[in-house]
Amino acid sequence: MSKYQVGDRVTVRDAPTMFHTRTQAFTRGRTGVVVEHRPEWVIPEDEAWGRDNGRTERFYVVRFNQRDLWADYTGSDSDTLESEFSERWLMPAKEETK
Amino acid sequence: MSRTHDHAPIQESEEISEFEVLETAIRELSISHGLFSAEDHRRFTEWAESIGPAGGSRLVAKAWVDPEFKERLLADGTEACKEVGIDWNNPTGEGTPSDYTFFYVLENTPKVHNVIVCTLCSCYPRPVLGHSPAWYRTPNYRRRMVRRPREVLAEFGLYLPPDVEVRVHDSNQKSRFMVMPMRPEGTEGWSEEQLAAIVTRDTMIGVAVPKVDWTASSAPSEALSSPSRGH
Repeated sequence: MSKYQVGDRVTVRDAPTMFHTRTQAFTRGRTGVVVEHRPEWVIPEDEAWGRDNGRTERFYVVRFNQRDLWADYTGSDSDTLESEFSERWLMPAKEETK
Repeated sequence: MSRTHDHAPIQESEEISEFEVLETAIRELSISHGLFSAEDHRRFTEWAESIGPAGGSRLVAKAWVDPEFKERLLADGTEACKEVGIDWNNPTGEGTPSDYTFFYVLENTPKVHNVIVCTLCSCYPRPVLGHSPAWYRTPNYRRRMVRRPREVLAEFGLYLPPDVEVRVHDSNQKSRFMVMPMRPEGTEGWSEEQLAAIVTRDTMIGVAVPKVDWTASSAPSEALSSPSRGH
């Protein structure tokens, strides 16, 4: 059912931003791992326009290693950041970003 | 006043945002059309702004003493909240109405320290923690917590060893999060009520950890001089 399974490595699309997406710029093009599934809900691209019955989509929790987000990260190697993404914003990771 | 001023006069009040204008317009229209009265609005605002983090403190304290409740809380946050009288969908004296219904509790462990932030705005688990502190909504906290979390935590007085993973949760979508701190040593045999007192707001945001000699209800000077809590 879900396109991505827990443990899959995924990359956040660096797609053009049209209005409201809730997909942060600092995650675009970054690769992380799916750690949880979320229920389907209305995507922000529709909800932002008051379309509460707009398109629903699966959401995923993606965990990034901080070093994959910030080249100059000053904390520990093990530090991470988690956030949620709709399926349309994710694609299978092609190569590991270092 | 000098006659040589060549700059715009300094305003006393901050500029009003578009959202504030929108809120005022909708509120005035609602009142003029009889949807609610100004007194209804005032009473609701007074109540909403008085909600503190007591609900969250009760959740954590109950989870610390009741492993089965803890399991339920971690498995289904919104459902478990009902056991302490917090209904995320229908405010019943503890919650606030909101457009979100997904609530997840993040358990701290000796190896993982969780902390919450919303880089997009100020998303916050209001039904359990009340209104967010002013600093939580500042661009300073929002920008830096995702990028330099250990530095920000250090500014709050929290230094974590390098082998503890700092896990930042950016609540950018519909889910809301609350941190479940670890129960500190020295609290054996404490009642739920005693435990709840040390689970302060900041410990559930993740910028602090509970201390046996510190509660938010006593002034810092009092806490320093008072004897440690009874066992």
